[in-house]
Amino acid sequence: MNNHVRELRGERGWSQAELAQKLDVSRQTVNAVETGKYDPSLPLAFKLARLFGVPIEMIFVPGEE
Amino acid sequence: MARFSKRQYQQHVLAAMGVYTALITLAWPLVRITHSVPLKVLLAVATAMPVVYVIAQLVRLIRASDELERFTHLVALSSATAVVCALSLIGGFLSVAGVVKLDGSILIWVYPAMALCYGVVHAWVRRRYGVAMWCEEVSARQYLLISVFGIGLIALALLCPHWLGDQQRGALYGVGVVFIVFGIVLAAVYHYRRKYRDE
Repeated sequence: MNNHVRELRGERGWSQAELAQKLDVSRQTVNAVETGKYDPSLPLAFKLARLFGVPIEMIFVPGEE
Repeated sequence: MARFSKRQYQQHVLAAMGVYTALITLAWPLVRITHSVPLKVLLAVATAMPVVYVIAQLVRLIRASDELERFTHLVALSSATAVVCALSLIGGFLSVAGVVKLDGSILIWVYPAMALCYGVVHAWVRRRYGVAMWCEEVSARQYLLISVFGIGLIALALLCPHWLGDQQRGALYGVGVVFIVFGIVLAAVYHYRRKYRDE
């Protein structure tokens, strides 16, 4: 699944470590989500949406089938 | 409250392995010369306790992990369990069939086999998800301490030849080399990690 986590994080001037701390996950998890290697769970996706203040659909875009 | 980190886990494991090394070198050889069954039980259980502590620390690390880390642990532990169970089943049937002779001491290799499978699969899964093997929690001081500890064990074997038996001296040499090699590997990972860091 594609996502815009990196762009949204950059707009707010946060490092991966800072975003990880806000989400209570490891920096490696944030990196894995941003690079598309890992799709987060629903609770984590909702946490991201709440943190960025945008709907989930604006963060995660379904990949091509 | 701060999460139980990989660095804390490594510190606990290293301390436990230090205690295990001391027990296996100095206390365990007594099991062959004593005839007291309670003392044999005490020595056997005491020698296993540091390894049990390491297992408990791994449980603690997994409980403190986030969702991706727990997933990698799950895949690695499941794979290790499957491999060791399959091997023990095959070995058991071969032993009952009289093809191989296995006695109870084979049980001592269950944990090392699981640890090896877990380590290999865990490293592979972490690479697959773009996670550096040791993340940013390895420090230069840690690998230095590990190598120094290994050098200390070898120095002890060299400087106290009369105080130690042949088996004990051999164990010190062997474990000392393992710690030195492990320290060098960690040093290489540390320098690789500094180039691999994202951001």
